[in-house]
Amino acid sequence: MAGIAVVLAIIVAGIIIFSRPLLSYKEDMHASLEDLNNKDALFYPWQLNDLLKNNMKNVVLFDIRNDYDFSHGHIPGAENIQARDLTKRDFIKRLRKLKGNNTTVVLYGDDQLQANGPWMLFRQVGFNNVKILPGGYQYYVKHQDDLAATKTDSSYMEGIPGCDYAKEAAPKDGSVLRESTEQKPVVILRRKKTTAVSGGC
Amino acid sequence: MNKKYIFLAVLMLVLAFGTVFFKETNRPKETPPEQLLWDIIRPNRYVTTDQVAKMIIQGDPSLEIIDVRNDDEYSRFSLPGAINIPLDSLLNRNNLLYFGVPGINVVFIANDDIASDKAWVLTKRLGFNGTYVMKGGLNRWMETIINPKEPSVEESSKAMATYEFRKGAMMYFTGAKAGSLETGSATVTIKRRKKTSAVAGGC
Repeated sequence: MAGIAVVLAIIVAGIIIFSRPLLSYKEDMHASLEDLNNKDALFYPWQLNDLLKNNMKNVVLFDIRNDYDFSHGHIPGAENIQARDLTKRDFIKRLRKLKGNNTTVVLYGDDQLQANGPWMLFRQVGFNNVKILPGGYQYYVKHQDDLAATKTDSSYMEGIPGCDYAKEAAPKDGSVLRESTEQKPVVILRRKKTTAVSGGC
Repeated sequence: MNKKYIFLAVLMLVLAFGTVFFKETNRPKETPPEQLLWDIIRPNRYVTTDQVAKMIIQGDPSLEIIDVRNDDEYSRFSLPGAINIPLDSLLNRNNLLYFGVPGINVVFIANDDIASDKAWVLTKRLGFNGTYVMKGGLNRWMETIINPKEPSVEESSKAMATYEFRKGAMMYFTGAKAGSLETGSATVTIKRRKKTSAVAGGC
C-alpha cells in the first residue's frame, strides 16, 4: 500500500509542477486578435514628450535592441533588455511586479517590427500593461527634438502604403499590364480534413 | 484477490476512460508561450522581397503568398498568385486550412511588415510551421523590385548582381520591355499535333 501511495504522490507532484509553467495564455486566439486593434496598447511617440518632461513615475521603457546599439544612443531613462533575455525568468518576474504596481511597460526596438512579437506575446499571457512604441527607436531619433509635434503626424503608424502600388507597378513604357499576371489560375492547396466530423463549420 | 490489483485495474480503467475526452483533430498543438517567445526573437521568419520575387518568377510550387490587407487594398494591387486573407478574418476555420499544408511555405505580405508579423505570431501560436513574413512588405517591394536603384561603382559586385536581378524582375512584374521598341505584334501560331485516333492520345 505504501508503495502505491508513493507512486501516486510522485504523479500528483509531477502534475502540479508541470502544469504550472512560467507563462500561460490568458487571452484566447480571438481575444488576441481583437487586442491588436486596441489603441490603448500603444504608447505614442508624443506621449514620450510627457514622459520625458514630467518624469512620469508609472512608466518603464524597455529597449530590446542589443547592448551595442543601446550604448550608441537610446531614449533617456530606458533600460536595456536584449531580445534574447526577454524569456528569462527574472524578466518575467520583473514584469509581474510591474503589473502588480500598475506600471506601464513600454517596449521598443529599432523599428516597430522588432518589438511587435514580444509585445503581442506579453499581452497574450496577461501582461495588459505592456505597450509598444509605434515607429520604434528610428522614428524617435528623427523626431526627438519636437516630440510634441508628432501628435499631428501619423506617418509612424503601421500599414501605410508608401505609394499607389497599382500605378507604381504599371509598365514603365505605358503598355498594358500583362494579362497573365491577373488571370493566372490560382491552384489552392488546402489541408485535408481527416474526418468528416473534425472540422465542420 | 489482492486489493492492490483491484485498485490498479480500476485506475487503468479510469485513465483509459479519460482518453475518450481527447479530441481527435489534425490541428497542430498550441505552441506554449515560452516556446513562442523563443520563436519570436529569432529572425528566421523573415524573407526578403528578392527571395519572394525569385520564387514567383521561378514558379516555385511550394510558395503560397497570403495578403493580409483588407480586400479593398488587395483588389487594387497584390502580388501575382496572392490569396487575400484579411488579418481580421485570419482565424476563420476555412482560412486556417491554408496553413500547415505539407511542403507549402506561406509568405505573409502587407503594406509594411507589421500586419504580416502579427499574422505570423498568431499562426505560430496555433502551432503552424512553414509560415514567413516578407520583410518591408509591399512598400519595400516597390523600392527594391519595381524601382530598383542602381548601385554606385564603389559598391560590391554582389550589389550589382542584386541590381541586375531586380531589373529583370521589374521587367517580369511590370511587363515592361527591355529597351526594345518592339510591341509584340508578331503573332505566334501554335501548331499542335493532331490526334490520329481517339485512342492514341490518352495518358
